[in-house]
Amino acid sequence: MRQHDYRWLLVFGGNLLLLWLAGLANHYLAAANLHLYVGGLLVTFAALRLDLKHGFTSTVLTAFAADALAPVPYGTSLVLLGLVHAVLYYGRQRFPREEVVFAIFVTLVSNLFLFLALSFLLVGRNPHPAAAWMRLFADLVFSQVVLGLATSWFMALQEHAFALLRLHPETGRRVAA
Amino acid sequence: MLPRRFDQTRPFLVLGIILLVWLVVPVAMKRLLRSAFFEIQAPLTATQSYVQELQDFWATRLHSRDELYQKGRDLAGVLAQYDFSLQQNESLRAEILRLENLLKLPPMPSYRLEPARVARRDFSGWWQHLTIRKGASSGILVGSPVVFSGGVVGRVIEVHAYTSVVDLVTSPTFRVAASANGDNRPVSYQGGDNETFAAPHGTVEFVPLDIFATPQQPRHLVTSGLGGVFPPGLTIGDIVKLEPSNDGMFKSGDVLLDERLGSLTEVTVLVPLNPDQL
Repeated sequence: MRQHDYRWLLVFGGNLLLLWLAGLANHYLAAANLHLYVGGLLVTFAALRLDLKHGFTSTVLTAFAADALAPVPYGTSLVLLGLVHAVLYYGRQRFPREEVVFAIFVTLVSNLFLFLALSFLLVGRNPHPAAAWMRLFADLVFSQVVLGLATSWFMALQEHAFALLRLHPETGRRVAA
Repeated sequence: MLPRRFDQTRPFLVLGIILLVWLVVPVAMKRLLRSAFFEIQAPLTATQSYVQELQDFWATRLHSRDELYQKGRDLAGVLAQYDFSLQQNESLRAEILRLENLLKLPPMPSYRLEPARVARRDFSGWWQHLTIRKGASSGILVGSPVVFSGGVVGRVIEVHAYTSVVDLVTSPTFRVAASANGDNRPVSYQGGDNETFAAPHGTVEFVPLDIFATPQQPRHLVTSGLGGVFPPGLTIGDIVKLEPSNDGMFKSGDVLLDERLGSLTEVTVLVPLNPDQL
């Protein structure tokens, strides 16, 4: 009997949870005019731990979910997250991708790239783009600090999800309890 | 087995194929996909809002009956004022109708009031949006103005099954025709300046040179009614600074907005009775 492989769904579910939590945080931070951007963390596990097919599937679905909530051309996150995923997958063999510290580093760099890319795309809408960069800088610093603290938790969450189902993230094979 | 170089570029090849497919996907399909992914996440947003209300309910239950009676008594005075305002409103509407008929004027835009709870706030440096818990099922239309007790909140930009997204008055993408209180010359208001930990701001342009405003003597800014979307006379904010623009023909400046915009829990959508208004 053919075994169904739902690794992409597991990671996509985790990313949906992260998007919801980030939205919840932003709901309460709105009064202080602060925003939490977690784009970098959405790609990290899929790019570093999953195989190409399942990793890209979860990243593509995550990009669709992220864009559905944002007033950007639909497909913007697909391009940006897809690019980050491809670059991380390309270079992951050279680095200790199982290590949490490396995952934190990758998340911070990816988030920085994604945040700056989005900012360059969208800052033109602001009547005073130069002043808008100050606000964006504050948001970026805040997001990086939070991601630096939250990455290890989120990576552990997804690892535990795979461990619960006794699945190896990259091969999809059953692992011993 | 594939050559090593080709094997290494596989992720970029896959990405290229995905993007190529995405380029040729019809726009209708993209819209459907967007709507589907929004609706997948909408229950989480709505549930979070209901849980918050439940929290507030149980917190209120902890108050003693004396405290609640006291609050009810304080509110009675406010309600009496609103009752009187409603009566005045009705008599003014009747007067407007009489004058429209007498002078054969076109009718003023009329609206149905649809109160809605705010389910989620999303205030980034790129956009400022609210998600409210009313959608197509309540007859909300795209472009409907949204207001609260302090004035303009924004405009509905997306309508889904039971949620809608509102572009806030502080958002860089929000523009509306306005006028200084007591003056009927149109000026342009645009959102955008939202510094961290600061009060919400907007900008005003094309202000006539004979209008002055300072932080000590601000000038009240209201909607002008031009464009037919927002009814005239709704509060936007206070103009606190005006400087001559680069061309010297007009002034531009800063508008201080209501601080409550960052913590709204309930808004009212003005659904036009004649959808052609939008």
